[in-house]
Amino acid sequence: MPIEGTRVAYQEELENLEHRALEGLDLVVASIERTNEAVQHQDIELAELVIASDDVIDGRYLEVHQAILTLLATQAPVASDLRLISALLHVMKCMERMGDQCVNIAKLVPIAGHEPPADERMLKDILTMGNAVREQVRQAKRAFSERNVELARDLVRQDDVVDNLNRECFRLAIEIGTSEDRREWAMTMMLIARAIERIGDNAVDIGEQVAFLVTGLFREFEDASHPGEDLAQNPI
Amino acid sequence: MTDPDRTQTESEGLGVNLAGTVAEAHRPAGRPPTAREPIFRLEDVSVRYSGKLAVDDVSLDFAHHQITALIGPSGCGKSTLIRCLNRMNDLIPTASVEGSIIYHGQDLYADTVDPVEVRKRIGMVFQKPNPFPKSVYDNIAFGPRVLGMKGDMDEMVENALRGAALWDEVKDRLSDNAFGMSGGQQQRLCIARCMAVEPDVILMDEPCSALDPISTGKIEDLMMELKENYSIVIVTHNMQQAARVSDMTAFLIVELDSAERNRWGRVIEYDQTEKIFTNPSDKRTEDYVTGKVG
Repeated sequence: MPIEGTRVAYQEELENLEHRALEGLDLVVASIERTNEAVQHQDIELAELVIASDDVIDGRYLEVHQAILTLLATQAPVASDLRLISALLHVMKCMERMGDQCVNIAKLVPIAGHEPPADERMLKDILTMGNAVREQVRQAKRAFSERNVELARDLVRQDDVVDNLNRECFRLAIEIGTSEDRREWAMTMMLIARAIERIGDNAVDIGEQVAFLVTGLFREFEDASHPGEDLAQNPI
Repeated sequence: MTDPDRTQTESEGLGVNLAGTVAEAHRPAGRPPTAREPIFRLEDVSVRYSGKLAVDDVSLDFAHHQITALIGPSGCGKSTLIRCLNRMNDLIPTASVEGSIIYHGQDLYADTVDPVEVRKRIGMVFQKPNPFPKSVYDNIAFGPRVLGMKGDMDEMVENALRGAALWDEVKDRLSDNAFGMSGGQQQRLCIARCMAVEPDVILMDEPCSALDPISTGKIEDLMMELKENYSIVIVTHNMQQAARVSDMTAFLIVELDSAERNRWGRVIEYDQTEKIFTNPSDKRTEDYVTGKVG
């Protein structure tokens, strides 16, 4: 859609910057899908592809980060433009961290070994978590592009599901750890679950940036140091 | 008006309380709070030139020892408004000011108030540096001499030049003609000249628009220092300058009548500068500060 008014080139640059940043979340979604598949099938080659393709995510981070610095230096954005720039910086950091978590998981795939999973229930929970955080990232992207605070806040609800599954994995790890091999497998899978859980947290962080972008006020949706409290009404 | 508690300073000239103990008066509904006590309180101020509205219905408090910026597009009445604050509009025969401008609790436009005394206490620096065709020294000494101020003139000149961060640059050429100074130095000389008569408010109407970035930076640094002792109101077209130096910002817009023949200015948002430049309340402010509209 053509932009009307003044500073048209600048506005187009901002739009392009947001587009490139949010495209980065698509890269993360693809990486999560591949990571989940690698974990499910203990596919070491696919895991290596996840590790290699993280360079694309890192490249996007550097590209958008540089463009943001240039825009700050040359256009001095203020008000909602400044909030957008600030939010995009956070989004890019989250994107880069989520990519790194996929790499962390991919590096654990060979360690988990070629044997059949020690516990199908734990694997199933982890795959469910993987699918859930993939949807969280998609929703975070949609909430950002639509400036939809409700959709952003809904990420907390989804993240609670992931957190519960993570706790369930922990419980199962203790339950199945009846031998050294099984304990090793369970610990490895716990690390994977933890990495997935962090991806979910990053998606929520993006949601918080959506709320900041729209309202101009930063609120944590949930405070890890005060779990269960709804901080939406109280500024930190 | 008799006030047994008045100090010597209060009894002079305007009879204002320069100690700045104006009580927090009734704030009209909707008026944003200022961080400090008001030095100026504008109530329903409108300005007309030859009967035509130029500024409409402005109500604002300007705080002590803060920098207040007036921003807005050309023709919105920023300069008209700032000139009301030291009765410079009195010099324009067709200008008329309605409403009240309360300065230290006293109506600035009351019949008993001497406009010359007003301009002594509320100095002004203009867009283009306007030194007198005299020496650096005489530029500074001019005001105190005209006003018959007593004291050591050399000391007054030095203090004013030091206050304007100019002393070190000109102390060895005080007898040189001021026209030989750079633009930035001339502007700081004008600020020093303003300070020499010991005002408590300095009005600045686009003080840096004719200066390069280095001179602009020096003026801005100076403003930050001056606000320790003076209250400053600045008109600027430079959004970043307003963001850099001011504590409070008022945004004025241009309004047109239905026939689009007459235009006048109106304040539509007044708030902490940080708020104006990060999360303004009014969409029109947002569009202006982001440059989406001219």
